[in-house]
Amino acid sequence: MNDRIVLDNVSRFYGEVLGVNRVTLSVPPGITSLVGPNGSGKTTLMNLITGLVRPTRGSIQVLGISPSDPEKLFRVCAYATQFDSFPRGMTGFQFVYSYLRLSGMSHDDCQRTTAFAIGRVNLGEAAHRKIAGYSKGMRQRIKLAQAIAHDPRVLVLDEPLNGLDPLVRAETIALFREFAAQGRHVIVSSHILHEVDTISDQVILLSNGYVVAEGQIRGVREEMSEHPMQVIIRCTRANVLASRVFEQDHVVEVRLHADGGGLLVKTRDADRFYRALNHLALDGVGIESVAPADDNVNSLYEYLIGGEESTR
Amino acid sequence: MIGQWLSQIGLVIRLEMGKTFFSRRGLWVYLLALAPVLIWLAHSMIELNQRQERQALNAAHPVSTAALRSIQRGMIIDDVVKQVGEPFAKREFRRPNINFAMYQYTDGDNVFSFQFQDDRLMNIGERDRDTIPKDSLVFASVFQFFFLRLAVFFGCVGVFTNLFRGEMLDKSLHFYLLTPIRREILAVGKYLAGLIATVVIFCTSTFLQLAALSLHFTGSEISDYLAGGGWGHVASYVGVTAAACLGYGSIFLAAGLLFKNPIIPAATVLVWEGANIFLPAALKKVSVIFYLQSLSPVVAPPDANMPALQKLLVTAAEPATPAVAVLGLLTLTILVLAVAARKARKLEINYSTD
Repeated sequence: MNDRIVLDNVSRFYGEVLGVNRVTLSVPPGITSLVGPNGSGKTTLMNLITGLVRPTRGSIQVLGISPSDPEKLFRVCAYATQFDSFPRGMTGFQFVYSYLRLSGMSHDDCQRTTAFAIGRVNLGEAAHRKIAGYSKGMRQRIKLAQAIAHDPRVLVLDEPLNGLDPLVRAETIALFREFAAQGRHVIVSSHILHEVDTISDQVILLSNGYVVAEGQIRGVREEMSEHPMQVIIRCTRANVLASRVFEQDHVVEVRLHADGGGLLVKTRDADRFYRALNHLALDGVGIESVAPADDNVNSLYEYLIGGEESTR
Repeated sequence: MIGQWLSQIGLVIRLEMGKTFFSRRGLWVYLLALAPVLIWLAHSMIELNQRQERQALNAAHPVSTAALRSIQRGMIIDDVVKQVGEPFAKREFRRPNINFAMYQYTDGDNVFSFQFQDDRLMNIGERDRDTIPKDSLVFASVFQFFFLRLAVFFGCVGVFTNLFRGEMLDKSLHFYLLTPIRREILAVGKYLAGLIATVVIFCTSTFLQLAALSLHFTGSEISDYLAGGGWGHVASYVGVTAAACLGYGSIFLAAGLLFKNPIIPAATVLVWEGANIFLPAALKKVSVIFYLQSLSPVVAPPDANMPALQKLLVTAAEPATPAVAVLGLLTLTILVLAVAARKARKLEINYSTD
């Protein structure tokens, strides 16, 4: 279990205000996205994992290390917070170098490592300029450089893609993937759901301080039996296929596309539906493509949180 | 492990140095340190100017000190003038049935005022020029009342409360808390950075104050003073200033960690330190000023002519021996730092409410 981030019945209250409540998680390596509306507890959860706040109840272990032991924790963990503020008067290089030196590296190693980290976020040319003169995107990148500089096994990033232009965004996502591919943890929070969908190995959906779902996106979706799975099928004889599909007892709704070249099917049992579809295909219905329509974070968010949001 | 902690303390000090010495928030600390230097400089300039005036008057109306001191009460004006010549200033006024006159002389250093009633000398006033013993007593009062209790006190409020609280306001404290450093080590590193800054600023101020004060004395007066224990006084004043930074620094570091608004603890400590003279012996020891007064190189009991209020301010009622005072101050500092380190260990980042 030492390669996991484990939260056991963790609650955090700010006076009478709930931060997170009864959170129990065991996060494996890979890219994990924290998703939820403002005030859902994403930042509190990240602050708890990194010891910036302490749980009112429960316990946390990051690769077997307690967040109350920063001396050990921050040798394996790094956190780029959402705060867009920096120590006054520092250049990007000084910023990364100074805090890296506290980890005990020698001056030469620190210089080399700092230059490498800044290079990884493509900020080499601006490294010796004052951070105060950086753009929002550059400030995000220098925070990222500072976080990755000591090569952590756990990288916690609060809204890391905010303010980045599309090219840098793609480069940053590639960096996350590289980290995850090496068996490390990358925990990101984001509001941009389609990006979460693209980059995440697993998601944690939060609402009002509670974890409403966690795990791989598909797995979470399959467990939501109250929301039938939606499948889009493009085919040549859509009306014929629609009538055959509707004979299945687990299919609850079929809609023909306006162009007559496809249909949307809602089913309570995706596995049985796909098996049935194979038989129908063998019977001569010309199926061009089959794709899940709500097997993504956006749909999960809509089903699990969107309803609550709209009723609030 | 200890080597690593020491190295981290050194790195924190280096990181903090720029902030403690050159922060915009800390500009007024320099003004506080500079103010008494300017006061003593002004005092010396005025004193030098007055001496030049007295010497010019003495050149115009030459008279020796011995001749002036030979004048006795009861002498008549004509005899006085015959003995010491015409005064540099003469005032005469009449009341029904009585004539008053005041003749002023100077030997170049001191001013003598002879007051006559119906032509007979009734009173002799003498305003002596400033001497080092006289000025050192005044310096002791200003040092203890203004410099330690106000300038160093509020300077330490400004520097030490900002070590943590200032970074919370700037929303940059979390960068420290996200490094592999024990929070206690961070607190010690920041404290030492603040201590170095305040010791440099205020000890320099103390030294400059003494230098400014000595400007109006002659070279031989200063040499005699320094040879007769003056260097010890200088060292003591600088040492007491450093001790004040040590003690007040720990208190305001803790205050910056424990309170969101440092004005409240600063006011409370100011009242407590001010009320120290009225406290019972046991409670006196829970204050910085008690130990500082015990360490101050002022003659106790002070000059018999010193006003009662001034006497109260410059003397400790039951002064501790220097060894006890140093030990007491160190104990107080370590206890307060332990509280601060404990608070730092449990520190949370919640800028929105800070």
